[in-house]
Amino acid sequence: MKKTISKNKVLIIDDEIEFAETCAECLALRDFEVMAFGDANEAMNFIRSDWKPDVVLLDLKMPEIDGLEVLDMIKNYDPRIEVILITAHGSTEHGISGMQRGLFDFLMKPVELDELVEKIHQAINLRLSVQD
Amino acid sequence: MKSPWLRLIRFTQNQFVFCINDSNLSAQQRYLYLRRGLLLILCMVAMIPLIITAGLSYNQYRQVVKEEVESNARWSTVSTKQNIETFLGKLRSSISIIADAYSFMDLTQQNTLDLVFEKLKHENPGVVDLSVIGPDGVQQTYSGPFNLTGKNYAESLWYSKTLAQQSYISEVFLGFRNLPHFVVAVSRKISTDNSHWILRASIDTETIDRFLLSIHSDIVEDVFLVNSAGLLQSSSSFYGKVGAQSPLTKIPRKNRLNLVEEYRNSKPIIRTYSPIKDTPWTLVLEHTQYAEKKPWRQFKRKLLIILCVCSLLIVIAAYRIAGFVAASIRSADEAREALLAQTEHNDKLASIGRLAAGVAHEINNPLAIIHAKAQLLKDLLALTKDFEYREKFLAQLDSQQKAVARSRDITHRLLGFARRMESKLEPVWINMVIEEVLSFLEREAQYKSVRIDLDLQQDLPAITSDQGQLQQILFNIINNAIDSVDKNSSIEIRTKKVEPAAIRIEISDHGPGMSPEIQKKIFEPFFTTKNEKDKQGTGLGLFITYGLVKKLHGDIQVQSVVGIGTTFILSFPEQRQD
Repeated sequence: MKKTISKNKVLIIDDEIEFAETCAECLALRDFEVMAFGDANEAMNFIRSDWKPDVVLLDLKMPEIDGLEVLDMIKNYDPRIEVILITAHGSTEHGISGMQRGLFDFLMKPVELDELVEKIHQAINLRLSVQD
Repeated sequence: MKSPWLRLIRFTQNQFVFCINDSNLSAQQRYLYLRRGLLLILCMVAMIPLIITAGLSYNQYRQVVKEEVESNARWSTVSTKQNIETFLGKLRSSISIIADAYSFMDLTQQNTLDLVFEKLKHENPGVVDLSVIGPDGVQQTYSGPFNLTGKNYAESLWYSKTLAQQSYISEVFLGFRNLPHFVVAVSRKISTDNSHWILRASIDTETIDRFLLSIHSDIVEDVFLVNSAGLLQSSSSFYGKVGAQSPLTKIPRKNRLNLVEEYRNSKPIIRTYSPIKDTPWTLVLEHTQYAEKKPWRQFKRKLLIILCVCSLLIVIAAYRIAGFVAASIRSADEAREALLAQTEHNDKLASIGRLAAGVAHEINNPLAIIHAKAQLLKDLLALTKDFEYREKFLAQLDSQQKAVARSRDITHRLLGFARRMESKLEPVWINMVIEEVLSFLEREAQYKSVRIDLDLQQDLPAITSDQGQLQQILFNIINNAIDSVDKNSSIEIRTKKVEPAAIRIEISDHGPGMSPEIQKKIFEPFFTTKNEKDKQGTGLGLFITYGLVKKLHGDIQVQSVVGIGTTFILSFPEQRQD
């Protein structure tokens, strides 16, 4: 787990911890405050404690818990947290299902970092516009 | 199994069992055996009753003809025998009457005998002479053309027989006149003493010959008289003149008619024997055998013609029916095999699809890590001071990311194929979809100077389908067609409505074409004919296209001839039967 202080907060949940950490470092270099977790429950506890992210990057398929359940938990906790689903799985069914539950967008691995950053900014902009 | 019919049936069964069970046979041979077996069975089933009927008719008619011939033979024999017996009986009674009416003394008078002879000859024209023989066996008086007066007959057979039997008809012999004749003689007692005299008439055999000649007819080939030793007593058409030895040795002497079937010079005949009463003669008639008769020969010829014509018709019909049945079975088998192959192919593609999806998913995660790491390295390099190999590092990382992007394309396509997202059903106008797709490919076609000829049916109905997927299907196929043809070639696209309620799209190119082996594989994943360096084909285009077509409840077929070109035929139902 690595932590970088930045203006916008991004939390990454992916059981592929190496991906999560690498991604976190890349985003950190782009002025995001990023936390990366390999375990969803741990991440949820962290969110609930004191660190509320603007955007969560969420893996769909994890060994103990399904990404969509985590999405529900996040949205239950704070609907304003935007969630982007990142998956290696090809099915858009999950994407559609996720959209219905308040998912912001759906990206497929391997992700182009520029595209990811673009999506994060869009999500933050949406969140800001809602707040306004 | 002794019967030839049973053997034939067993053989026919074997033909079937053979052709069904023997997996070593080629399909061609199996259908050939099947056809032969059917032909054999059909021929047997039709021919056996025909042959039985023909055989029965043959035997029945032969029996009828044979009985008719035998009955005619009996009738003509009996009537001839009666005529001869009547002739001889009349002659003998005439002579008996003369012997009774005149005394020995009267008849020894030449004048009296001449007178009596004239009368007798008048009544019986065959009589040659009449003579009176005294008790000493010496001829006393003679009336006739020969000079036989004074001849002594005491040693003659007929003389002693006449004395013994009172009346006698002799066999034919030459006698003193040295000409064949027979005698009819009666003996009477001389009233003055106990001695006997004889009145004798000679008849030449020509009389008998003439008489018998009148019996000849179409069916009576020969008629003659023989004695018990087989010597001819009248002339025969086949065995010679009077006195000759006939080949008939065993002459039946029973007083009834005998009918035998014999061969004369290898020719079948019917021969009848009938003894003539009170004579040493047997009447022999030879008749044409039924087999030589015209009605029988005509019947046989007609029967043979009917049999041949019917057999020919049966064989032709059986040949046609066997051919038709074998062809029907063959086409049904082929349809079943094609269906099986199709099902197998679909199953194979589905399995490959599932496998590919699984593999793609597993690969995407490490790919994502590689990609992210490369990105991080690039980011870190951007923050690092310049060093000697900086540019080279960046170039290597770019290259690494490009390779990842290429892998990603492949895995995404695989996942795209396996994906089962809901189709968006809406009315789609195929011609419009084609024109849209062509607008994407126009530049590519222009670049290669490939002409695209459209033959689109204008009043095509809209079909209920997924426009995006249809676009992808058509894009893949038309793109492939453009890739496959040489510069300045052309591609034709045709659409038309076909029954029942479907739209058919044909995309033909004049490219190099494909061998049947390649045609079988083109819908399989990772199969490509595109040169990797030129086009970077993934081998997934047609695999995905196939999956999409099936998803849209359509059908895709390929027809291709090496050196001529390839046509893809797509068809989609107007309405989805979900």
